[in-house]
Amino acid sequence: MPGRIPRVTHTAAIVLRYRRLGEADRIITLLTPTRGKIDVIAKGVLRSKSRMGGHLEPLTLVEVVLAHGRTMDVVTQAQTIEAFPDVHANLDRLSAAMYLLELADRITIEHADAEGLHDLLHTALVRLARGDGQQVVQRTFELALLEATGFRPELTTCLRCSEPVAAEEAWWAPVEGGVLCASCARTDGGAQPIDATALRVLRAFQSQPYEDAGRIRLSDELAARMEQAMHALMRAVVERDLKSAQFVSAARRARVAGEGLDEAELAKDDE
Amino acid sequence: MNDGRDPFLPGASSPIARLVEAFHRLPGIGPKSAQRLAYHILRAQEAEAQELADALVEVKRSIVFCAQCQNLTSRTPCEICTDASRDRHLICVVEEPLDVLAIERTNGFRGLYHVLHGVISPSDGVGPEDLKIAELLARLRDVETEVAEIIVATNPNLEGEATAMYLGRLLRPLGIRVTRLARGLPAGADLEYADDVTLGRALEFRQEVT
Repeated sequence: MPGRIPRVTHTAAIVLRYRRLGEADRIITLLTPTRGKIDVIAKGVLRSKSRMGGHLEPLTLVEVVLAHGRTMDVVTQAQTIEAFPDVHANLDRLSAAMYLLELADRITIEHADAEGLHDLLHTALVRLARGDGQQVVQRTFELALLEATGFRPELTTCLRCSEPVAAEEAWWAPVEGGVLCASCARTDGGAQPIDATALRVLRAFQSQPYEDAGRIRLSDELAARMEQAMHALMRAVVERDLKSAQFVSAARRARVAGEGLDEAELAKDDE
Repeated sequence: MNDGRDPFLPGASSPIARLVEAFHRLPGIGPKSAQRLAYHILRAQEAEAQELADALVEVKRSIVFCAQCQNLTSRTPCEICTDASRDRHLICVVEEPLDVLAIERTNGFRGLYHVLHGVISPSDGVGPEDLKIAELLARLRDVETEVAEIIVATNPNLEGEATAMYLGRLLRPLGIRVTRLARGLPAGADLEYADDVTLGRALEFRQEVT
């Protein structure tokens, strides 16, 4: 756009994270529909009388007014559009949402064109909030995110020899970004076997609209296998461990352990 | 003594520059404040500087984690944990040692504490295994424990909520009541500017006017 940068801009944004700056200020990382990921300064938000603090928490869709600054824009007003209370109310949904936020943050570069990512993230958060299966929401978001950023995984043909691969004979190669056929996998140290059903469901998630893919019922075991494969792939793409992915698993383990105990107690009561 | 240079325009290796640099590394201290502090020390009596230096060294040498509550203390178990007048049925779980001081200032809590030393924050690379959660579980699994309620007093933000819910999930199977600090409007707040979550909680947990 030619001409001067406007002094003040309005934009919607999803708050991805923040870090502290000095005594009471924060640097807030926002994912915006038109400017991609940007860091902005929010002054005085750590004071209890701050009029913006509560609006600039991660996992909030906000409308912000930004004053153009020399290095970073400064937030002058913030108003919550959507705070996703139904996500906050449940640890499985909340941990899944934290994972989506971390993915969106790690996979984007500041100011880089990230058109569509804001909508992808918003849609996924809305789905989590209304109670869609967390596994389905996370896996479809991962696949859509990879597609939008140019990392679309190859799930049907071998990455080496380009021959179609049957799900039963496929090997999972996270670093290469998809599947290998059995003979090519023999020469690849990093490839691992992948469960055929897990791969078939991932293929369905990649090729079908969400409304159809979302109807597939996943057992806990199948969901865990898909999660393991996709976490390995995401780790290879962002080139680091995703702490939130581990937290998703830890939260689920704690739930399963708790339920197991409850069931054991129930069984005792029955005796 | 300073190879003829002005001692107040320190070179990179001068003692003044080292002191300024050391202050600058402290949280919330900018370059100007660091210089002001350094020159204050220069102008002060040597005894005052010595006192500061001794205090700094002593705090690093003598402060340890309390074996029970994991708070920072000069002796373990700490004063609060050994105080016989405190209610042993209640443990308040906080993020940081400073939060213990904040709650003590209210004079409204007479139970024990447990300091997590952080909060689950994936974006900063902190997971549950990096906190003092295992120590809390060990404390509660102790056969002699009298604890009946855990008050989770983590901050009311995304990380604090996630930590509180995760603790709730871990502790409920132990048959212990897990509660969370109430959330609402701070003193002196303005409804017009309150965020939706806070205002919603304030409405949900409204109280009878007495």
